[in-house]
Amino acid sequence: MKTFTALLKREVLEAKNGFIIVPMVLAGLTIFLVLMTLFGVGELNLIKEIDRAEVQNLGEALALAKSEEAADLPAAITVGYWAVSILTWVAFPFVVFFSLLSVLYEERRDRSILFWKSMPITDWQEVGAKFIAPVVLAPLCFLGITIAAQLIVAVLMSITVLFQGGPMLELWPLGLMIWGWLNAVQAYFIMALWALPLFGWLLFVGSFANRLPFLWALLVPGVLMIVEGIFFDTHHLLTWIGTHMGAWQDLAFRGVRVDIEGPRDLFSFLTGSWHAEAYGYALTSGSFWLGILITAGFLFAATEMRKRAATN
Amino acid sequence: MESVITAKGLSKSFGSFQALKPASFEVPLGRIVGVIGANGAGKTTMLNAILGLTSFDGDLDVLGLDPSKERGKLMQEVCFIADVATLPKWMKVGEVLDFVEGVHPKFSREKALDFLSRTKVPLDRKVKALSKGMTVQLHLAVVMAIDAKLLVLDEPTLGLDIIFRKQFYSSLLEEYFDEERTVVITTHQVEEIEHILTDVIFIKDGSVILNEEMEDLTQTYIEVMVRKDKEDEAMALGPIYKGASFGRSTCVYKNKNRDELAHLGETRRLGLADIFVVTMTGEGQ
Repeated sequence: MKTFTALLKREVLEAKNGFIIVPMVLAGLTIFLVLMTLFGVGELNLIKEIDRAEVQNLGEALALAKSEEAADLPAAITVGYWAVSILTWVAFPFVVFFSLLSVLYEERRDRSILFWKSMPITDWQEVGAKFIAPVVLAPLCFLGITIAAQLIVAVLMSITVLFQGGPMLELWPLGLMIWGWLNAVQAYFIMALWALPLFGWLLFVGSFANRLPFLWALLVPGVLMIVEGIFFDTHHLLTWIGTHMGAWQDLAFRGVRVDIEGPRDLFSFLTGSWHAEAYGYALTSGSFWLGILITAGFLFAATEMRKRAATN
Repeated sequence: MESVITAKGLSKSFGSFQALKPASFEVPLGRIVGVIGANGAGKTTMLNAILGLTSFDGDLDVLGLDPSKERGKLMQEVCFIADVATLPKWMKVGEVLDFVEGVHPKFSREKALDFLSRTKVPLDRKVKALSKGMTVQLHLAVVMAIDAKLLVLDEPTLGLDIIFRKQFYSSLLEEYFDEERTVVITTHQVEEIEHILTDVIFIKDGSVILNEEMEDLTQTYIEVMVRKDKEDEAMALGPIYKGASFGRSTCVYKNKNRDELAHLGETRRLGLADIFVVTMTGEGQ
């Protein structure tokens, strides 16, 4: 366990730019934009559109919302924090993509693999850590930074509302905020389970490509799709990849009636009502289980490649 | 005597090219073994097999383990420095120590810090910002702080200046080596390690052509600066190597009685580098 912790720590250290610096810059940008808005640069469309004489600033808008939409307000605030901080996640797919692709590639290129191999660590431990870091730790880093950004935005708005004289405590629907954060983990978890074979493919490419892993990662499936299209006139591979990238939701939620009237419905839809359908669909989907199997295959292959990797 | 490495018919092929021809040898505990050969002779291939970095044919036992199957376990008892700079360049010196402390049960941070305190290697600097000499010092600090039974060094001092090289070998000998450890080392700078070796293995074109204790080896080869009037007699004794210096011919003999040779001229023991050269080029094989 101590070994694995040290391996994960090393992975995060090595990927510090992608896992920590990039989301921090984006979160900083979010906070900067919120600050500018609070200082009155640009206009708060939200407030302008309210078009009521008594609403001139954030504090008054909040007071009005509290008096007229009290039931929806906490959810609206929580969704609002996510809407603002979602900017942090823009880089996330790229970070995961390039991390998985480069972890087993770079250590061969800079020969540091020979140093890692001089330590009492098995290849499967190494490959495991290199898979878990981008797939599990990267999103946790992003989430932690998102949470910090949301709290900072809440504090900044609270200070503003305090000066403007509005119901400041309405800005702190803590229960919903925490519920939202936990659900982000949940949502990512199921998305990631579906995407595991794609993640595994990227790791595997990094374990064998001698150069240009990026091209290998995209060209191999690309060529296979074209060949499939020409010879069989089908698109199974494309569909399969699409499904695992996220299109499974289309199938899983086909029967779900989406009835959203206001922030409360939206929030409860985002944070709960889909769980049963999502898990139910995944556990009964052959494509899902095939994906898990393929992931295991890629991880095994990557481990075998790494065993032989030191002496090219 | 406890054997650290036992090879029986150890060989390795890359396609049709046989990088290491079947070799059998044994390395006991408490030795410093020099593996010497020209570039591409198969030294690194042999070491890689011992370290579990490459597959091989034949039987190989390192500290009771099969390196090709149990590298992870083997590395608890074996340390190595490869022939290229391998420390991760993006890491800071302190982070390297943190990492090794985290994964190696036999690593002593105090020892490593003690060693580093006598160098100019700064703990907060990244490896890529260290000079070549400092990088080697850091790597040596790491391996010397690991209580291993076998240390394998593949050209550890390549590209270092003479002062670093001297320091490297004296630290190795004074602070690391004892009768409970074995060191296997390859280098081109044979003269510099000659005095610390207990055993040597010569490799030529993938074959182990010599495997002897240093003491025996230096007694086996004797060079005679032949007096003018003894040249015919000297040739009749069958030298394995002939040369000339200061206008006189020199002959190298293998396995001849020193007293018997003494009347031919002045005799001297050959240095390891010379033994290597006559073995590789002469009939001494």
